[in-house]
Amino acid sequence: MEAALRPPVVDTTAFGWARRRLFATPVDTIVTLCFGAVVVWVALRIVDWTLISALWSLEDGQTCRDAAGACWAVIEARGRLILFGLYPYEEHWRSTLACLAIVATMALSCVPWFWSLKRLPALWIGGFVTFVVLMHGGVFGLSVVTTEQWGGLSLTVFIFCSVAVIGMPMSIGLALARRSKLPVVRHVTSVFIDLFRSVPLLTILFTAAVVIPLTVPDWAQGDKLGRVIFAFAIFFACYQAEIIRSGMQAIPPGQEEAAAALGMKYWSRVFDILLPQAFRNSLPATINQFVITFKETSIVTIIGFFEIMASANAAVGTGEWGAQYVEVYFFVGAVYFLFVFGLSRYGAYLEKRARLTHA
Amino acid sequence: MMKRFTSALAGAALAAAVSAPVLAASGETVKTIQDRDSLLCTGHNGSYLGFAEVDDKGKWTGFDIEFCKALATAILGSPDKLQIIPVSWAQRFPALQSGDIDVIIKVTGWTMGRDTELGLQFARPYFIGPTNILTRAELGATSAADLEGGVFCINAGTSIERIVADYMGAKGISYEALNFEKAEELRSALYAGRCDALAGFGPFLAATRFNAPNPDDFVILDEVLALEPEGIAARQGDDNFIDVINWMVSALLMAEEHGITQANVDEMRANPPSSSIGRLLGATPGIGDRLGLSNDWAYNMIKAVGNYGEIYDRTVGEGSPYKLPRGLNNLWSKGGLHYTLVLD
Repeated sequence: MEAALRPPVVDTTAFGWARRRLFATPVDTIVTLCFGAVVVWVALRIVDWTLISALWSLEDGQTCRDAAGACWAVIEARGRLILFGLYPYEEHWRSTLACLAIVATMALSCVPWFWSLKRLPALWIGGFVTFVVLMHGGVFGLSVVTTEQWGGLSLTVFIFCSVAVIGMPMSIGLALARRSKLPVVRHVTSVFIDLFRSVPLLTILFTAAVVIPLTVPDWAQGDKLGRVIFAFAIFFACYQAEIIRSGMQAIPPGQEEAAAALGMKYWSRVFDILLPQAFRNSLPATINQFVITFKETSIVTIIGFFEIMASANAAVGTGEWGAQYVEVYFFVGAVYFLFVFGLSRYGAYLEKRARLTHA
Repeated sequence: MMKRFTSALAGAALAAAVSAPVLAASGETVKTIQDRDSLLCTGHNGSYLGFAEVDDKGKWTGFDIEFCKALATAILGSPDKLQIIPVSWAQRFPALQSGDIDVIIKVTGWTMGRDTELGLQFARPYFIGPTNILTRAELGATSAADLEGGVFCINAGTSIERIVADYMGAKGISYEALNFEKAEELRSALYAGRCDALAGFGPFLAATRFNAPNPDDFVILDEVLALEPEGIAARQGDDNFIDVINWMVSALLMAEEHGITQANVDEMRANPPSSSIGRLLGATPGIGDRLGLSNDWAYNMIKAVGNYGEIYDRTVGEGSPYKLPRGLNNLWSKGGLHYTLVLD
């Protein structure tokens, strides 16, 4: 008989973990100390620049030259310009409310209770109507603000949401059409998707904003912002369609055949069997696509829209604040981070939820 | 100063424009503006130092914007009857052709290609854009030749690259170019001492110097590497509109020549010291009728924005952070290149 092996003694305290993982051998110790020193040094530099040596506001006669670290006074002076762009100063409250309305809509549509074919469209129509009424005005005694004057964070969030909301259903349609049994539908969709994917986004947006007014009669042009959002949405849909299609390919064909054998109709098979699983399969890639799209909204500066990146450039593009671009980019970076990090966390939550319900 | 990629895009858009019928009405721009009761003028997608900036309250200011205001006042009687449409460099020409804007006042160089192939018509230059050199004061250089063998920071993909190469090549001065994509990178490189000199558009250099940790460490050399006459551009085929713009610029210069300012314009109009000033300010009719405008347009304009010198000082000159010397943008009588047309 062999003597039973005693279970290894594991020191589970932080000290024990550190000794096991960081200081097990002399080489480990050296590596830990070297990298630890670098990390601490960088962290201290950042904390020093952003907080300790930073100048938060300017006293009389002080300038940003006096700051040893960051000069956050630029955000105090130019922050409203960055957040609201060219929107009329007295009406900034409208832009704030509109932005909150659309962010609230975004947040609510993340709640599973809203995930039905009736509730979700109703929520988004409500959100968009609120946004446009507040931003554009012209009703309830609000003065009219044309889309040329929209700007800053509200515009960035609006473009992102519109692109996602218009693009998602479009992408599902394209994905289904590309799997269609009808050769004409299948081939036309393939060509369409490949065509849009092979052209840079910038070119598509430039065409929508600048070339269409030259070639299409006035009455058919619509608003410039509308055209750009629609073009962006098509671009988004072409990429997203392929992501959803990959999610569909991963489902064994037997499932659909079995459903058909049971007499389920096409749309029932799509909505009850295909799409729920396709979404789950393609979730990581979809979140990726959303994050990319959020960041790509800054491309619209090239066609003269004052979204947050353009207004940040406007904020530092003066003699007075020209040296404070690092602070301003830092600020804008933090705003982007807030949204993108929120999106990724939400994606992680969805994945966990999918695992729980469909284990 | 336009980037190659965006100019390629603009070219593609205009190729489409030329093949398609141009929809914006030409020949009647002034009437279109009057019917709309608002002038659509160019802004920027961001800020362009000194020329089109956005203030803390989201209002446009700057040299180009003042000219937009002057034109709006000349045609419509008030500087507020103006909408500044933000457009990027690449977008300005197609935007003009499609009628999104009425006029381009956006530091736009008068080049042959733009004048002919792009279907633009330029009015007389309203700004002479020099390419200069900003260098470290400690080097003691007074001309480009003193910077022999030095490192030049240059904005990649802009016309500056070619201008510097041509100029230095012609003079046989060797140099090392260090290219950067963004203005911020250029500046930090200079401040950090990675280059001895920065070549660029005069106003940009003035701003770079102003923003330096210690502006006295840097000097702008008087030497001019190249000149770019910046003109106000409108659609081809509208002579009357071009006339209005030419006389607007001329009236602003004439006001400066005769010492007419925003402050004394009322007095000058009540007691014109000479008959030509009387004609300019509309005390004697003629200046408006012949252009299809009101006879007091020049008076209104000077009352609203001041004369050329006042606009310059307020936006890019001594009264601004940039302190850009008048240089070639002075009147001919003070050593510059600007002159007035004859008001008969």
